[in-house]
Amino acid sequence: MIQKIGEYIAAHPQQLAGQIAAHIGISLIALLAAALIGIPCGCLAAGIRKGESIIAAPFEMLRVVPSLAVLILLIPVMGTGIPPAVTALTILAIPPVLLNTVVGFRSIPDFMIESARGIGMTERELFRRVKVPAALPMILAGLRTALVEVVASTTLAAKIGAGGLGEIIFTGLGLYRMDLLVLGGGLVAILSLVSGGVFDILTRRLFRYKYV
Amino acid sequence: MKNVVKKGIVLLFTASLILVLGACGGKSAGSGGAAQAEAGSAGTGSVIVGSKDFTENEIVAEIYALALEDAGFTVERKMNIAGSVVHTSITSAEIDIYPEYTGTGLITILGMEALTDQDAVYNSVKEAYNERFNITWLDYAEANDGQGLFISKKASDEYGITNISQLQANADKLRFCSQGEFDEREDGIPGLTKLYGEFNWKSSKIYDNGLKWEVVDNDEADVATAYTTEARLTETDKFVLLEDDKHMWPPYNLAPIVRNEVLEKYPEIADILNKVSAALDTETITKLNAQVDIEGEEYEDVALDFYKNIK
Repeated sequence: MIQKIGEYIAAHPQQLAGQIAAHIGISLIALLAAALIGIPCGCLAAGIRKGESIIAAPFEMLRVVPSLAVLILLIPVMGTGIPPAVTALTILAIPPVLLNTVVGFRSIPDFMIESARGIGMTERELFRRVKVPAALPMILAGLRTALVEVVASTTLAAKIGAGGLGEIIFTGLGLYRMDLLVLGGGLVAILSLVSGGVFDILTRRLFRYKYV
Repeated sequence: MKNVVKKGIVLLFTASLILVLGACGGKSAGSGGAAQAEAGSAGTGSVIVGSKDFTENEIVAEIYALALEDAGFTVERKMNIAGSVVHTSITSAEIDIYPEYTGTGLITILGMEALTDQDAVYNSVKEAYNERFNITWLDYAEANDGQGLFISKKASDEYGITNISQLQANADKLRFCSQGEFDEREDGIPGLTKLYGEFNWKSSKIYDNGLKWEVVDNDEADVATAYTTEARLTETDKFVLLEDDKHMWPPYNLAPIVRNEVLEKYPEIADILNKVSAALDTETITKLNAQVDIEGEEYEDVALDFYKNIK
């Protein structure tokens, strides 16, 4: 088995590198899109009473539809390739980002806000210098959850010609070749773990003061 | 309490025994009935026609059945038998006749080396089946349900591609839609490369097999794989099946196969079914498939309409 995997890697080095690159690329674009939609919406929802149920509920409902179904449903609208794949993955990634953002903003202690007002901060300063830094750890935790989920699900992108490591897995399924399934599945798992790890390291750097 | 449980178990056991025995009795009575029916209609003869579990094979089996009925036979139909079981069904005399593919007989059933010449394949299976299984291959139809490649009509017109040699020469301008396995399978791209030369696709992407027609129709790829009688190949304004001009793939010609015992008893079966095979070419079969798979008609109706036309 291991020898077979080695042979496959040796025979297709460029293809494999391309698949890994495509996998990471699609995942990151989806995560970025989810952040761009999820964080502002979460911000907004935190400011409104019952904001979650109004703003977050629609995204949660979309999330319930399996990604594979979303992919196929998008074909008549967006065709095949990377755009529908990124859309489906973004839908998957928005809820954790959005909900964590809401919780992040909601859980800022009142005394912090009061003291900030007490020293005469304007609303804008309050937001930028107190609220955002206080909510950021929660927001990043949400992004991390989303990232790990997205990396694993990007496998499905290969169904609609967007590339990625799913190509190896689906080829393995078609040929009933265990070596390809182990290689593809293993690489996705490693990628998912590594991306989580890298994200942790970046978070630590950003909040160095917390770990003194 | 214990006693009650015991009694219950005994009762259950007895009940299941009666059920099993009853079922056995029913079965033997049933086969007895079939034997009687056979004896009763001995003057005209009765045969059992079977089919595999997909549209094309069912249509063709139904046409065989209609032709035999027309000649005065009593036909029992055992359609929709799993492809992996159908061979055992005929060797164990559960069925007498079914439509088989020459390539399947050669490679899957007999496990022989793949050949690419139609007559060579047919002669090998005919001889081996007769010796090993006591089964006769009647004449094969021109219809060939084998592996193939198709191209969009647009690309075919633009670059003048109608066969795989021309495809190879123009591969650098074409986008290939694969299912992944085709790139790795010995009778896929690796085999094609050995025979026709390197295929330097402009791009090669993997899609789910069900999407290939849409992908090519939407101009997101130019070339994809298909079986040569797939229903959507009837849309000749959109898709062009490429000719395998260097004979890469073994032929999968349709032919009726009959148990020798039955054929010796009713030798006229050969003429009846050979007449059907003579009318079946790849284009015709593809159209019949389309009537069922695309237009949603019942395979029995499609077979009947077709048989009326060739009668």
